[in-house]
Amino acid sequence: MSFEPKIVGFLCNWCSYAAADLAGTSRKKYAPNVRVIRVMCSGRVDPTFVLKAFQCGADGVLVCG
Amino acid sequence: MAKLKLGLYWAASCGGCDVAVLDTNEKILDVAQIADLVFWPIALDFKYHHVEAMEDKSIDVCLFNGAIRSSEQERIARLLRAKSKTMVAFGSCACFGGIPALANFFNRAEIMERAYVEAPSNDNQGRTFPQFQTEVAEGELELPELYDTVLTLAQVVDVEYFIPGCPPPVDLILKIVDALATNSLPPPGAVIASEKTLCDECDRKKEEKMISKIYRSHEIIPDPERCLLEQGILCMGPATRGGCGARCIKVNMPCRGCFGPPAGVVDQGAKLVSAIASIYQAKNEEEIARMVEEIVDPAGTFYRFGLADSMLKRKRL
Repeated sequence: MSFEPKIVGFLCNWCSYAAADLAGTSRKKYAPNVRVIRVMCSGRVDPTFVLKAFQCGADGVLVCG
Repeated sequence: MAKLKLGLYWAASCGGCDVAVLDTNEKILDVAQIADLVFWPIALDFKYHHVEAMEDKSIDVCLFNGAIRSSEQERIARLLRAKSKTMVAFGSCACFGGIPALANFFNRAEIMERAYVEAPSNDNQGRTFPQFQTEVAEGELELPELYDTVLTLAQVVDVEYFIPGCPPPVDLILKIVDALATNSLPPPGAVIASEKTLCDECDRKKEEKMISKIYRSHEIIPDPERCLLEQGILCMGPATRGGCGARCIKVNMPCRGCFGPPAGVVDQGAKLVSAIASIYQAKNEEEIARMVEEIVDPAGTFYRFGLADSMLKRKRL
């Protein structure tokens, strides 16, 4: 089986999360490897969150905003 | 009231914590009035078998300094835990791993190689290493086993109180002694220091924090009135627990983070990265890259005292 990375995405409520949401309502598909976590602003993302994601087994972390 | 029984022990530490106890000067006589010292390897000639012979919970308070990185240290930590009513992690090494925990960026084989082969003062072409077991004519000799990972005291046994500091300042030591004497100890789990950060108690003038160059301590003589971070010196105050009396700041040296994370913070290093990154004033990516390069040994700087207790904990084995 080929490697399927687990990616945790921290997405800003006002831009990237809205875009991901719009992609969903427009029935566009994206890879299920990204597990999206909505934050109220990408400025809310603390380096501790990134460490925690890796600690919980993420292969990559995506911060969008 | 019967005298309290007090035990002190050092594990992976430098001895500075024991000296800090002596730094209480004449107050140590007050300690002697309320307490009998039943175990203190640096100063008194009690042996491990004396402790083993004690009844469980017969020591009232054990002040344990140093991290745990060998089988002997783990054995004595467990022994003292069984014999003590109250276990106090005394000093940054016992609380968070301290300087010895920087060894967690390596493993045992690498540490042995460095200490017994690579270090410039060695002449060890035969690659002789200390053995944990050695057969001799008289029988088998044993040395304590060095662990790959440096642990905090609380990662090995239950701990009631934490007194951070490298070493803990005298007023905090006296605070716990007073609390013992008057039987007014805080609830278990308490850190005997401030709940807030060092910045909160630092009385330097703080203006807008925006830096475009990082200076190391020897590269600049800082203005003694202004915030050190604003002068481009990496000061760990924003993510370090206060309660030390800002003793380094008062002699114009930046905070190195020995009091560990403030209340509510899990990972001191991550918070420091966040704090420092937020005050970078850079026009473009090249400038950011240059300023990141200017931080020599970022892992050792941001996790100087807290690696064992952090989310990073250690290099992958």
